[in-house]
Amino acid sequence: MARFVFIVPPLTGHINPTLSIGAVLLNRGHEVAWISLDKSLVLRLPKGGQLLLIEYDESDQQKQDSEKYLDIITKKIVYGIDSIKFLYEEVLIPLNRHSYEGIVNLLDRFKPDLIITDHQMFAGAIAAVNKNIPYATSVTAPAAIKVMDELPKIHEWEVNRIVALQKELGVERENSIACSDLLTMVLTSEAFFGEMKLPSNYQFVGPVIHKREGQTAFDWEELERRAGQPKVLVSIGTTFDHEHKKNFFAKVIEAFAGEPLTVVIVSDPSLFAEWPQNFIVQRNVPQLELLPYLDAVVCHGGHNTVCETLTNGLPMVVVPIAYDQSHVAGRVVRVGAGLRLNFNRFKSKHLKEAVEEILNNGSFREAAQQIGASFEEAGGTETAADLLVRLSAVRCVEVLNN
Amino acid sequence: MDAVVSTAKLNSNEIFDLMKQFITEVIGEEFVEEMDITMESSFTKDLEMDSIEIVSFSEKIKAHFGEQIDFTGWLSNMDLDQLINLNLGTIVNYIEECQ
Repeated sequence: MARFVFIVPPLTGHINPTLSIGAVLLNRGHEVAWISLDKSLVLRLPKGGQLLLIEYDESDQQKQDSEKYLDIITKKIVYGIDSIKFLYEEVLIPLNRHSYEGIVNLLDRFKPDLIITDHQMFAGAIAAVNKNIPYATSVTAPAAIKVMDELPKIHEWEVNRIVALQKELGVERENSIACSDLLTMVLTSEAFFGEMKLPSNYQFVGPVIHKREGQTAFDWEELERRAGQPKVLVSIGTTFDHEHKKNFFAKVIEAFAGEPLTVVIVSDPSLFAEWPQNFIVQRNVPQLELLPYLDAVVCHGGHNTVCETLTNGLPMVVVPIAYDQSHVAGRVVRVGAGLRLNFNRFKSKHLKEAVEEILNNGSFREAAQQIGASFEEAGGTETAADLLVRLSAVRCVEVLNN
Repeated sequence: MDAVVSTAKLNSNEIFDLMKQFITEVIGEEFVEEMDITMESSFTKDLEMDSIEIVSFSEKIKAHFGEQIDFTGWLSNMDLDQLINLNLGTIVNYIEECQ
């Protein structure tokens, strides 16, 4: 049996798939640990999983730094190409620099056979190389590795930031090592990822859908009472601040209040004193259980929600806000599974028209179902676990032979 | 005498109007009406266009001028900061010089 360790950034969307893959590895009798800055992760680990917390013999400064990175991404709203600069300069590079030493210490302690590091936790790859431990990479936000032919310098700039950090931490190479040469698992299907040739170390394993433990309460009876009406989920994730949410949902209310459809909103209900009668508003919803009863989704283009929606064969309207969401939205439009709106510019009537269009024109649903089928074919959690087990076995044999 | 070109040479005002038309096509007429688009307007901060929209805009320029101007080549040489600060005036000047 092998020892696996996942190295994850403090970002839910990047962590959740590793919890599902890790659970499968644990079930098969392997030892599995997670290296993270986030103490609260211990509450979400599958049974038998260990948390290896990055902590320092705390000068208070370092401790404060650790906490700072936990919610840094929610603090500032940046838009478009600017958001890429912010993400690297103010989040990823300092986060990775800060985490590196802790990761190295934990690897010394845990002695894994195989490391699985997130594509944005390049400190994990750097530590693996410096410690001479094999590593695989999980690409949990596949749109982030896309290179735009027309704007190649964006990707080049990102790579330069990573290479500079690698050198600072003792890896003298001119290429980014964030994506492993041994195995880089891309958590989508080739059909959804789209045209761009990737080398053979990249494997499309499909999205890894994470089933949360425990029950999130939901008023199923209320949903039942509204049978016969189209039902639409509206969620823009947890990342963005209050003001943005308020502006956004004000337009959603204007678009759908009193319309012959049921709108399920993921938001703090106290955002508005009153919501329209045809809205169901909850801070959290059991999204996976709910999606099979819905007809369409409006979202901001987070990878996980988009994949869960497509897995259920539902069309969507994507309203990207920042980071790689614009690419995700671009793919949804390109495969014909939905429409996109500009977050800052759209007005309620555009949202209303777009939702009517995806509900009434069956081609959107058909395209969504096709992508959903491609996800299923790619395999998902079990396939990812198989690849990791195989890789760890190969490495053991190689070590024995040497 | 210069070789005959398919498009008549445009002055900077005409280029500006053409660019405005392309922006309108990318982001929609009603939004453009609400904006004060000038030579100083930056694509990211003022026009709030994201990378995908900037690429659609560049495709329109390419389709219009064809071989005459290597707009995509020029754009692909821009680094991140240049792209973030890219404004309409820079593009108008470039096209004017290339004609």
